[in-house]
Amino acid sequence: MTLIMVVDDDQDLAEMLGIVLTGAGYEVDLVSRGDEVLPIFTAQNPDLILLDVMLPGLSGVEVCKLIREKSMVPIVMLSARSDKQDVVEGLEAGADDYMVKPFDPSELVARMKVRLRRTTADISTDLKIGNIKIDQIEHSIIRDGEVIALTRLEFDLLVALAKEPGRVFSREALLSEVWGYRPATDTRLVNVHIQRLRAKVEVDSENPSIILTVRGVGYKAGVAGSSQ
Amino acid sequence: MKSPLNAFRSSLVFRVTSTIVGISIVLVWLLGTVLNNQISSGIFDEKLKLSISDAQSSARNTQIQLTFSQYQDKAALKLIFADILSVPPQSFDSSAREIAVFSDEKTKVRYRFTGASNLLNSNSVPEAFRERTKNSKNTEWDRVEMRYFDEKIEPGIIVGHNIKISGAGKYEFYVLFSLTQQNQTMSLIVRYLWVTGAALILLIGIITFFVLRRLIAPIRNAARVAEELTAGNLELRMDIRGRDEVASLGYSFNEMAVSLQQQISRLENLSKLQQRFVSDVSHELRTPLTTIRMASQVIFAAKYKFEPIVARSSELLVSQIIRFESLLTDLLEVSRFDAQAAVLEIEEVDLVALVRETIDYVHPSQDRVIHLWNPENTILVDVDPRRIRRIIRNFITNALDHREGKSIDIQIIESDNEVSIGVRDYGIGFAYTDKKLLFERFWRADSSRARTTGGTGLGLSIALEDAVLHQGEIDVWGERGKGAHFVLTIPKFAGGTIESKPLSAQPD
Repeated sequence: MTLIMVVDDDQDLAEMLGIVLTGAGYEVDLVSRGDEVLPIFTAQNPDLILLDVMLPGLSGVEVCKLIREKSMVPIVMLSARSDKQDVVEGLEAGADDYMVKPFDPSELVARMKVRLRRTTADISTDLKIGNIKIDQIEHSIIRDGEVIALTRLEFDLLVALAKEPGRVFSREALLSEVWGYRPATDTRLVNVHIQRLRAKVEVDSENPSIILTVRGVGYKAGVAGSSQ
Repeated sequence: MKSPLNAFRSSLVFRVTSTIVGISIVLVWLLGTVLNNQISSGIFDEKLKLSISDAQSSARNTQIQLTFSQYQDKAALKLIFADILSVPPQSFDSSAREIAVFSDEKTKVRYRFTGASNLLNSNSVPEAFRERTKNSKNTEWDRVEMRYFDEKIEPGIIVGHNIKISGAGKYEFYVLFSLTQQNQTMSLIVRYLWVTGAALILLIGIITFFVLRRLIAPIRNAARVAEELTAGNLELRMDIRGRDEVASLGYSFNEMAVSLQQQISRLENLSKLQQRFVSDVSHELRTPLTTIRMASQVIFAAKYKFEPIVARSSELLVSQIIRFESLLTDLLEVSRFDAQAAVLEIEEVDLVALVRETIDYVHPSQDRVIHLWNPENTILVDVDPRRIRRIIRNFITNALDHREGKSIDIQIIESDNEVSIGVRDYGIGFAYTDKKLLFERFWRADSSRARTTGGTGLGLSIALEDAVLHQGEIDVWGERGKGAHFVLTIPKFAGGTIESKPLSAQPD
């Protein structure tokens, strides 16, 4: 069974989340303090973490950073504020997605499903983007013989771009394909993750050759062998 | 360098100093004139007194001389006259003294003689004065020009006497005294007066200037400090020296500055408190609301198990929680504007694509109610897409609410620096007088009208704030029964302003 770790200091909300998620067929582990997350995470090894930003002990952003140091597990932040600072901080700390309270539980479950799904794409072909080889079976990417570690979301983002090399993806299109957003709302999510992904895969992230920006529209995959 | 007129207008020191110098020039000039007159008339009177007595004694001597010689012959008389005229060329005060003698043409004179001493031209004696002297028995005097044969002319005093010698005849005897010496003295005095006057004026000017500057320095200081305070440097205070009136000005000024600073920091604190409060309310309300919402949806999902009344209640519960949520979101947005905490997050986006997506979001059905003109255009703009999307969404939901079954037209028109988005419906419209009220919070066109959608009543006021944040404007046209037209115009580039509007709200 899929194990979801719910980290929230509000007991009632955590319990309610537990009810909803159990109803959706997940196993749920409730944690109420930030500083308790890491030991329980190591012991339980959950498949996804729902992480509140404001936590006693250790803030959600800090927890997120600590987990990212050890694991690429999908993290969805829960924030009570839609202000830029909170959201961007969480995303930059390594969260894959975020939900602003109060959220629609069915949307939460839908997004979690997207984060939890194994890439069901045609895994027989080898994908290439720029000078990077994507091994869909091993779930890894290789640049010049060197393996680069990506979160599942970053991997999905890269695969989405690589699967249709000629297509220019708008931020909205990426939001719905990679994050499962319907309808697309907050394009900051895309911007932050493209930046994080570039920092990992590009040789020179100031002058990208793998994920190219198309002004005013969005992004597209770089052509193999070309250098911008 | 400032022009003098400008300096006069802008500098109190300059103005007061020049006024005082002007007044002292007039006073010194008046005083100098009076002094000059007094001194010159004094000197002249003294000279005249001495001249008259000198002339009288000369006349008396001549009379005696002639009386003694009345019986002598012409040759002897000639010698006597020569002797009379051969006076030394200088008088008591070493200025020229000349004598002129005329014999009377009318009376019979034994020895006719007309002559003047030294180089004096006898026409120096004016005819009018001669007439006066001839008819007078006393000493006569007047001012005169002493003309010499060597072309020299000197101012002088003439004193005339008649000398009558029985048997010998009647003579006019004139003594002329040069005033050169006195004039020299006078011009010297006048020069001293001028120099003294000029020095006095200069001194007054300089003293006034420095005293005023000293007096005005604290005022200038106050002005400078006030400017700094205005610029936001609230810590600055005036320097205070002594305990005079100027120091008390300084004390009052500094007290004012302190009170201003306190007021400002109090207001700043209030504003910060307000923002904190909004933020806290946001957090505190949102968490329980999330729980409630999830609970309601769990109940709603199980409604088929309930009796019809409970099932319906669960429906109402869910829809009202969603409405409450959007109301809370809008309220928080409004408080963020009120606290001036709203910030733009500028991105370059294709406005046409943004409108297209917004239409799909608000009205996903395919029944072609909304017509977007030129949907294939690309118009790149620097905007906060979240806010622009919110404005467009608001326009479209309003149009959908009021369209009365008719279609909706959306136009996007650009110029070089601006872009306008117009949402036009042909529904119930609104009264022209309501135009301003549309943007007021919680205002509704017709309170008796049932609400078809769960609008919060804050949409347009938020839209207006969002537009203003973009340096943009919203224009509205509406008429009862003919529909409404909402036009948002924003600058295409960040930091720009609107100079013209590509689309007018007024329909053709």
